Amino acid sequence: MKTFFYNLGYFLSEAVKTIRYNLLSNFFSVVGTGLILFLLGMVAIGWAVGDQLITMLSEEAEISAYFDENTDTDKAMKLVNQVKTMEGVWDARLIGEEEAQARMEETLGEEAQILELFEENPFEAFIEIRIHLESMDAVLENVVNLNGIDYVRDNRAVLDQLKGITEGLKLLGYLIIAAVGITTLIIIAHMIRQGIYNNKDQINTLRLLGAPSSFIGFPFVLVGLLLTLFGGILAVALLIPLINQGYIQLGGSMPFIPLPPKEELINNTGILILTVSILLGFLGSLFGLSSIRKVSN
Amino acid sequence: MIEAKDVSLKYQEGTLALQNVNLEIKPGELVFITGPSGSGKTSLLKLIMGMEYPTSGSLKVFGQPMTKRRGRRIRRLRKKVGPVFQEFQLIEGRTAIENVMIGMRFLGKTPRKMKEDAKNALTRVGLIHKAKSMVENLSWGEAQRVAIARAVARKPALILADEPTGNLDHDNALNILALLTSFRDQNTAVIITTHATHLIENYENATFIHVDKGNITVERREQTK
Repeated sequence: MKTFFYNLGYFLSEAVKTIRYNLLSNFFSVVGTGLILFLLGMVAIGWAVGDQLITMLSEEAEISAYFDENTDTDKAMKLVNQVKTMEGVWDARLIGEEEAQARMEETLGEEAQILELFEENPFEAFIEIRIHLESMDAVLENVVNLNGIDYVRDNRAVLDQLKGITEGLKLLGYLIIAAVGITTLIIIAHMIRQGIYNNKDQINTLRLLGAPSSFIGFPFVLVGLLLTLFGGILAVALLIPLINQGYIQLGGSMPFIPLPPKEELINNTGILILTVSILLGFLGSLFGLSSIRKVSN
Repeated sequence: MIEAKDVSLKYQEGTLALQNVNLEIKPGELVFITGPSGSGKTSLLKLIMGMEYPTSGSLKVFGQPMTKRRGRRIRRLRKKVGPVFQEFQLIEGRTAIENVMIGMRFLGKTPRKMKEDAKNALTRVGLIHKAKSMVENLSWGEAQRVAIARAVARKPALILADEPTGNLDHDNALNILALLTSFRDQNTAVIITTHATHLIENYENATFIHVDKGNITVERREQTK
């Protein structure tokens, strides 16, 4: 270990020399890696926004349970309390006929005049049940089977569709992440192999002098780390203005889309990209290092 | 330090480089390995360095059996050896002192100690004034001295020099031999291969191993008063 610390400066200068030896190729691999990591950053941002949207919609997932007209308020409140104890329900509230009408008037806005055509309030009282999205099936079954409940209305079709879209996006994201990982590993492993090939005489000399493989290989691991780290920094540098612009555009034209706090999104994406770049650089270097054995003696 | 019993080396293409070699080299010995080109001198050095392994017989270096199975341990043994290669194998793009230091970087020495030992070694070979010169800008003779400095700075138990006089004129060849043999002491053995027997005929208190077509003859010459 002390040998490692005594030689940190040497390792770094060897890594820089190896990068400079093939500067143009290494420059292009940094740009390539940067663009690939930029893509990863876009996926991460998409996920963050998608998660925010799903969380919001999940919190708003609700079903409406209607009871027969003869049910009085006490009975209805008993039903509400029964529903509240069910697993997957986080809130249940009795909505009276007047509140139901007021809500509809609010929703219809100017068109609410149409309601004046009715002689009586056409809306029924119901129980508004807020649920955890993933428990919807179980809750529905339990509520329908509850004694006193006439029928149940849910927004399941819309939620299912949204769930399908977000799951599809997640799958696409995983595929992109796999492609990003494999491509970066291939690029870095190739650059390390090239570096080893260019330095094969030096490696051979070091072997004959008794240098351990870890000593010979470490500068190449550093090369891989530096290349992907520079790529990561490039990706973050491209993502920051994109996020800023995105918030300006979306905030102005589509204010209803729930966005996570901008600073938090920038910080989290930056940390993710740099961590992934370091990990991929390390792994890619290790793959590339396997060719060091082919250097004789 | 080196013990060979009935060692033979046959290359994969079928060439028998050494056959039934028996020899013992003790710490602090000066050994000249002589013989014409292609006689097996370098093959003997390769066996000692663990670059090749005996196809039959037993070879021990620093008490360690030299077999392919023990390859990793053998590479560790190289830390005790100061090799001076025929083509020097200096690392281009680095200065003379960096080349000398590179041989010590994995021996656990502090950077300060490495630099001090490298400077001492370069002083010893008369090249301290070229410490910061790039090795590709040095003459053949200077590069060879850097290679010697790299070998001795490690304070090895064994210095191995492969044909160090090969490309030198008579006087420079004698100087290089004198320089190499000056590093011999009770802890450091020096083994030198050369085909120029006239350069070493005056050496005493040394062992002469003559290799010819893979067979060796050993002659020990004591010091005359």
